[in-house]
Amino acid sequence: MAVDSATVREKHQRAWLAGQGRAFVLHLVLIACSIVFLVPLLWMLSTSLKTLDLTMKQPPVWIPPHLEWHNYKDAFLYESQSLGYIPFLIYGRNTLLLCILTVSGTVVSNALVAYAFARLRWPGRDIAFAVVLATMMVPFPVLMVPLYTLFRAFGWTGTFRPLWVPAWFGSAFFIFLLRQFFRTLPTELSEAARIDGCSEWGIFRQVVLPLAKPALAVVALFTFMGTWNDFLGPLIYLLNQDTFTLSLGLQFYQSQNGGTDWNLLMAASTMVIAPMVILFFFTQKQFIQGIAITGLKG
Amino acid sequence: MILYRPEKRRTNMRRREIITALLFASPWIIGFLVFMLYPLLASVYYSFCDYSVLRAPAWIGLDNYTDLWHDEVFWTTLTNTFWYALMAIPFGFLVTLSLALLLNTKVRGMALYRTIFFLPSLLPGVALAVVWMWVFNGDHGVLNEVLRALHVPNPPNWLGDPHYSKPMLALLGIWSAGNAVVIYLAGLQDVPQPLYEAADLDGAGWIAKTWHVTLPMLSPVILFNLIMGIIGTLQVFTAPYVISPSGSPARSIYFYTMYLYDNAFIYHKMGYACAMGWILFVIILILTMAALKISERHVYYGGS
Amino acid sequence: MRLRDLIFTWLLILIVVGAIWYSEDITTPHPEPGPVHIAYWEKWTGFEADAMRDVVNYYNRSQNRIHVDLLMVSGIENKTLMATAGGNPPDVAGLYGPNVAQYADDHAIQPLDAYCRQYGISADQYIPAYWNMGFYHGHVYALPTTPATTALHYDKTMFQQAGLDPNNPPKTIEEMDSDAARITTTDAQGHILKSGFMPSEPGWWNWAWGYFFGGKLWDGKDKITANDPNNVRAFSWVQSYAKKYGVTELQTFHSGFGNFSSPQNAFLSGKVAMELQGVWMSNFINKFAPGLKWGAVPFPYPADRPDLADSSVLDEDILVIPRGAKHPKEAFDFIAFVESQKGMEMLCMGQRKHTPLRKVSAWFWAHHPNPYIKLFADLAWSKNAITPPKIGIWPEYGAELSNAFDEISLMQKTPRQALDEVQARMQGKWDEYLRHLRLRGEAR
Repeated sequence: MAVDSATVREKHQRAWLAGQGRAFVLHLVLIACSIVFLVPLLWMLSTSLKTLDLTMKQPPVWIPPHLEWHNYKDAFLYESQSLGYIPFLIYGRNTLLLCILTVSGTVVSNALVAYAFARLRWPGRDIAFAVVLATMMVPFPVLMVPLYTLFRAFGWTGTFRPLWVPAWFGSAFFIFLLRQFFRTLPTELSEAARIDGCSEWGIFRQVVLPLAKPALAVVALFTFMGTWNDFLGPLIYLLNQDTFTLSLGLQFYQSQNGGTDWNLLMAASTMVIAPMVILFFFTQKQFIQGIAITGLKG
Repeated sequence: MILYRPEKRRTNMRRREIITALLFASPWIIGFLVFMLYPLLASVYYSFCDYSVLRAPAWIGLDNYTDLWHDEVFWTTLTNTFWYALMAIPFGFLVTLSLALLLNTKVRGMALYRTIFFLPSLLPGVALAVVWMWVFNGDHGVLNEVLRALHVPNPPNWLGDPHYSKPMLALLGIWSAGNAVVIYLAGLQDVPQPLYEAADLDGAGWIAKTWHVTLPMLSPVILFNLIMGIIGTLQVFTAPYVISPSGSPARSIYFYTMYLYDNAFIYHKMGYACAMGWILFVIILILTMAALKISERHVYYGGS
Repeated sequence: MRLRDLIFTWLLILIVVGAIWYSEDITTPHPEPGPVHIAYWEKWTGFEADAMRDVVNYYNRSQNRIHVDLLMVSGIENKTLMATAGGNPPDVAGLYGPNVAQYADDHAIQPLDAYCRQYGISADQYIPAYWNMGFYHGHVYALPTTPATTALHYDKTMFQQAGLDPNNPPKTIEEMDSDAARITTTDAQGHILKSGFMPSEPGWWNWAWGYFFGGKLWDGKDKITANDPNNVRAFSWVQSYAKKYGVTELQTFHSGFGNFSSPQNAFLSGKVAMELQGVWMSNFINKFAPGLKWGAVPFPYPADRPDLADSSVLDEDILVIPRGAKHPKEAFDFIAFVESQKGMEMLCMGQRKHTPLRKVSAWFWAHHPNPYIKLFADLAWSKNAITPPKIGIWPEYGAELSNAFDEISLMQKTPRQALDEVQARMQGKWDEYLRHLRLRGEAR
């Protein structure tokens, strides 16, 4: 039976319009939600470009009459009177070092451990997993002091070691996360590889890891963020101003009885979170636009 | 003639299997024994002691626990925490899942949108305090300005009115949705495309597709976020502590972990704090086990 | 593909190893031969930090036996606590005066009596209230750094606008209440536009109101006296403001206040005409509202209690030597310098406060930026100087009182109810505290 080309064309046009309409509505919703989410950041940016007396004005001034771009330079050089040098670069270097060490440690160790929980059978596995979960349920202040005593006994206080060495031994949150991910991966590929005589390590490296790249990227990103913003750890374990991290550095803009320089604090905060924003923007492909498994999925 | 002994071969294989598994799990096992065991056991011991951190602990048996039972503030913070969890967990769940589904659609500029939604969870605590005070300010806060523009009469004084401070915190949780959303997004990538195509062929609309394809395939991740939500909201600390360390007004946002922290580090009653910690642990454990049990029937693990 | 992966993996390994090596290098202390290095942890930032830094630099340059390594860190109590418990405390720590009892009961700090005798430091060199804060159970545990007193700050322009004499601020609480009533204005809907006085602004010493009415929080021994009739009277006075002006109206008005440290501060922006504030307020006025016409006088007293005149909340920052410090002798050498007239005036001038010492140079008075500095210094001598009870449970007691203040301001409870509850709770905590001390063989 012959198909009327006109009706086919009409059908296609209608589908296209419906698609456009849907896209329009989606865009609207996205933009509305985006504004809500952008509020904190916009306010931070706006404050960072104001003069001090405008920062807390009510009703709030969103766009200051004059953009004080020099605030960024001032924030960067802020402590040069008190500390004699520019701490930002040093704090940034320290923070970056810690991030490298924690991210590498977390990805490596948690992938290994999660694989054991997700794909291997061994006696005590389920009890161990319950223990893993249980460790997340103990509030942090309770463990802080004995942990500090432990690190002190090792002689690690005043060094960076308490801040990155534990990352190489797995952490409950990521073990749980990766275990859930690994369990969503179909077992057929691993079975096939096993039949081919591949060792468990081989299966792990060549079959599971590549499939888990999105999840591993998430682990890396979260660890980076966590270390970059970590305040309590550096506060307790670092003893020398030269070893401080960025989050500790931000505290210097707040003065008890002298008044906080809000505009400089916001400028500094913006500079501190900038690397993370850039990192996220450029790496989101890794964990969001993942890697389609052509063999099984399509 | 040496007979072939299948059992021994199997036990050997099995032994190798177990050793391999233990090797894989060894980082955690070692880490737990070295970094976790001592603090865990120590804190249990401390919960039965009068311990101020600065001096050696002195055994007092169940005193801490009985004192907690009679401590009004303990009950206040516990109730506050539960109310907050009741609000924040479902609300957070709905918001993060919806956002993730929204951010998974094929719309132009999605990379930018996703970055925007992720941004607030990057802010350092010191900046957040001021930002939130700005948004939720009863007089000129952004939220109330918007509500007034929508002709809502008498928008509440979020920060000053004890009836609205907990809802304010629940709302505030939206901005830290970024983490959970990212996890959902990563999980959404692993939903096999053929399933969607099959659903299309069956004439399913997007609601049906979401309900019958997306959600089941995503269920392990949903379970993860749900459990992390339970564990997290019951231990809520940073946000309220940054807004008001004493939980004002009138302790309306004074939560369990805040009282625990104050007891540990400000009142120098670490033993008391440890007792609080282990009580909370038991509560969270029970709730998590319940969640896991209930979810057993609903979670679909694609890999098995 | 294999080669690329291999290179990639080795590169990563190299980066990680390099990071480990570098991080170790950064944190390895390089001990310099020569002077003894002592660690001094302080809590200040900004110009306050600068003031102490000047003192430290001067000291370091003036001799070559001892070098002070100054570390400014927030969360100082937490950090010092952990370090002391862990056995590697700083040699000198800058902590908070009101918590001396807690530190001492915990054996966290060393008694300084022997050192004081050695360096000739004694009570008669200090304004008594400041010396007493660091003196506990017969020992000197802490010496003051920067002191503080509070006074009634009032806005002269707002006084004039309300038809009051700006040079005749209130002397009694009743006068202040009626002046406040004259200055407070509301609009047609009952919203407050201007307030004469609000007990909750700034709300930093809500535990102290009882003292202004002659009440006490502790009998000095084993009885907590939170619901002392004068304390109840004080809280009734606080609640009278909520009753007179309305809880919601006050709350709404309060939420319209800008941040303390900004030109939108309630006092600086002409929203509140009178408030209890400290010696540092002049800094904020100069920074954010230089055109403000203001004055400071002692906080008013109840008309029937003229014996309570010149009441003022008193505070100080202190220097202590934590238990287990590696170089206590050298630490005290530095502390002695800070406590000398030269060191102290350098510090207190830099922080724009008055000094805790009796001897003050003419230069100090002449150059001080706070026009009312003599008033703040004189108030420290008053027999009605208010300090928190020197008991180990003070932090918790203070928090309870703050909460009670909130409850009565929100009209959730009557003053009697709220204070009875505080009394019951804190008496229980104090009994338990003493019981635990006895268990350790440290009966009082």
